[in-house]
Amino acid sequence: MNHVLRLSACALALASFSWSAQAQSSTFSVGALTPVTGAGAPYGGGMSKAIEMAVAEINGAGGAKGAKLVLASEDSQSAPQAAVLGAKKLISVSGARALIGVWSSGESLAVIPLTNEANVLLMHASGAPALSGPPVNEKKLGFRFQATNGRFGRAFAEIAKRQGYAKPATMAFNNASGLGNTEGFAAAWKATQGKDIVASVVYEPNRPSYRSELQSVLRAKPDVIVTGSYLADTTIILREWYQSGVDTKWIIPGWAANADLIKALGPQVTEGIISVETVSNETAPSFKHYADAAQKAGINVQGNAYAAMAYDQAIILGLAVQAVGANASGPDLAKKVHEIGTPGGTQVYTFAEGKKKLEAGGRISYIGASSALNFDEFNDVTPDFAAFFIEKGQLVRKYVVKL
Amino acid sequence: MNYADFINLAINGLVEGLVMALPALALTLIYGLARFPNAATGDFVAVGGFGGFAAHQLTGSLIIAGLGGAAAGAAAALLAYWLAFRPVIRRSVITLMLTSIGVGFVYRSALGLAFGHEPKAFDMPLQRAMRFGDVSILPADISLAALTIAVLVAVFAILFWTPLGRSLRAIADDPDLARVSGIRKERSMLAMWTMAGVVCGIAGTVSGMRTVVYPDSGWNLLLPAFAAAVIGGLGNPVGAVIGAILLGVLQELATPFTGFVYKIAIGYVVMVIVLLVRPQGLFNRVQQVR
Repeated sequence: MNHVLRLSACALALASFSWSAQAQSSTFSVGALTPVTGAGAPYGGGMSKAIEMAVAEINGAGGAKGAKLVLASEDSQSAPQAAVLGAKKLISVSGARALIGVWSSGESLAVIPLTNEANVLLMHASGAPALSGPPVNEKKLGFRFQATNGRFGRAFAEIAKRQGYAKPATMAFNNASGLGNTEGFAAAWKATQGKDIVASVVYEPNRPSYRSELQSVLRAKPDVIVTGSYLADTTIILREWYQSGVDTKWIIPGWAANADLIKALGPQVTEGIISVETVSNETAPSFKHYADAAQKAGINVQGNAYAAMAYDQAIILGLAVQAVGANASGPDLAKKVHEIGTPGGTQVYTFAEGKKKLEAGGRISYIGASSALNFDEFNDVTPDFAAFFIEKGQLVRKYVVKL
Repeated sequence: MNYADFINLAINGLVEGLVMALPALALTLIYGLARFPNAATGDFVAVGGFGGFAAHQLTGSLIIAGLGGAAAGAAAALLAYWLAFRPVIRRSVITLMLTSIGVGFVYRSALGLAFGHEPKAFDMPLQRAMRFGDVSILPADISLAALTIAVLVAVFAILFWTPLGRSLRAIADDPDLARVSGIRKERSMLAMWTMAGVVCGIAGTVSGMRTVVYPDSGWNLLLPAFAAAVIGGLGNPVGAVIGAILLGVLQELATPFTGFVYKIAIGYVVMVIVLLVRPQGLFNRVQQVR
């Protein structure tokens, strides 16, 4: 009996396999690998909704070159191990041709060898400098929709200069992203001010206390401390800093200095902290188009810049499929995505508009909702940054920094 | 760097050591009686931390938070004993250790599902440090030290001054002799798991108050606590506590020379040296093979 069951299960699997092989010409499979749980949880839900929204928009406009986009989703848990398992499943079981919505550097660095191997595109919002060129992104199948950590560092330096700080110090979480932020800052500070930073500390993750690290930075009496950090360690560090009673200011990346940090520490400790995050392409028609739909879908448009990035990833992918067809190889598709994400063609702001222009023949450039895209040679974007000041427990946006 | 910086480092190390001391004590208590390294100890700590956090949210009282943490830790330990460890208690050490790793996974995931993964902080007023020249001491750390010492005294009082403690020590010394002498092992086991759970729960609440509570917080404490217990001699309660304090202080005092990235490694270098010189740990006698 058992034997018969197993045989029929095999037959069923085979049948469904051949069916999906036949159906492949009229569908294009997309894998969403978003951080629904874990450190990225404040963003992952919105990213998933934005991707669903974009896929529905593409299919609603008649699909991309006759092919319907089919979406399969996995939770990356904001953790490299889980992201790898999710990516394997999306690529081998769901047959995904592109993974989109990938969040942290740790996840992207873990997943990109798999996508490269399978000639699958990877679109992410990670900052690690290593994701730019060879060897990691040698095939140029990886696309970055968030600023690199180096660009974040430059934005930090710009803000520190504008606030009139003279003696900055840095604290970095010991990984590619944390070090990228603070080293980018130190390099930009040196280039614009001609001075070195007064102190820097690199610390290990998951410690119960960072008091000694903090004391060693505070000894140099900095007027501002710039961090490359995450939520859990930032919470502990700021708490211990407040208890120490030393007066200094903080510039912290937006993924660490967010509403959850204020909730955990309260308005008194967080008062005056500068939180730096990229801003969406707010004056573009594509942003308005996205924001209207996103609001209806219940996405936090202001507080979740990653959702707009995820949306753009799906739209530009749809446009590239429209241009080269659903059966094009990964590298061909990637070349097209790069072309559509760089200036030189007719500017388009929505999928429907781009599809029409492509059908008429001609080159298009998609101006995104998250940024104007404008990929450089490594497929990296340069978005604008906003400086948010925490005032009485609220993140208040003060000004925008353009690099 | 002047003398005050070193004193500050030593104080930080002492405080980190005290945070590690309680899980190390729980680890060593379980090892002493059940004879396996319990990898779920850290997760009992995390459950205790969330128990304390929930009790504090509901009542706003720090004492009730401590009691809630202790109760949650004890419940986690007893549940793990009944459902997971008791059925395999006669199997090999490897089986028991793998079981404990599994139990830890279950607790961590359950906490993540129930409370989410974002770090949570106790909603209590933060006190500024007291300053003596360049040396700073936090009032909260003095209470932490007092509480840790109180828990240690209580555990030692139970172990050395009560009939229950006598039977626990008898079983730890020679399980067969204890059984033929009429000591009921099951009752002692329950008492021991409860005690270990309470210690873990208090550890979780205390470290949660000092830092933040999140599902992985206990797991991150496990390895340092284990190193501390090994340095002091596995199964020896005094050794675990002194091992933890020693480890904390040495780790911090090494940072001016090694930098902060390598301070965790220093802890294990100390452990290796201790094991080379005294394989039985600092405070254990050499055991005879029976």
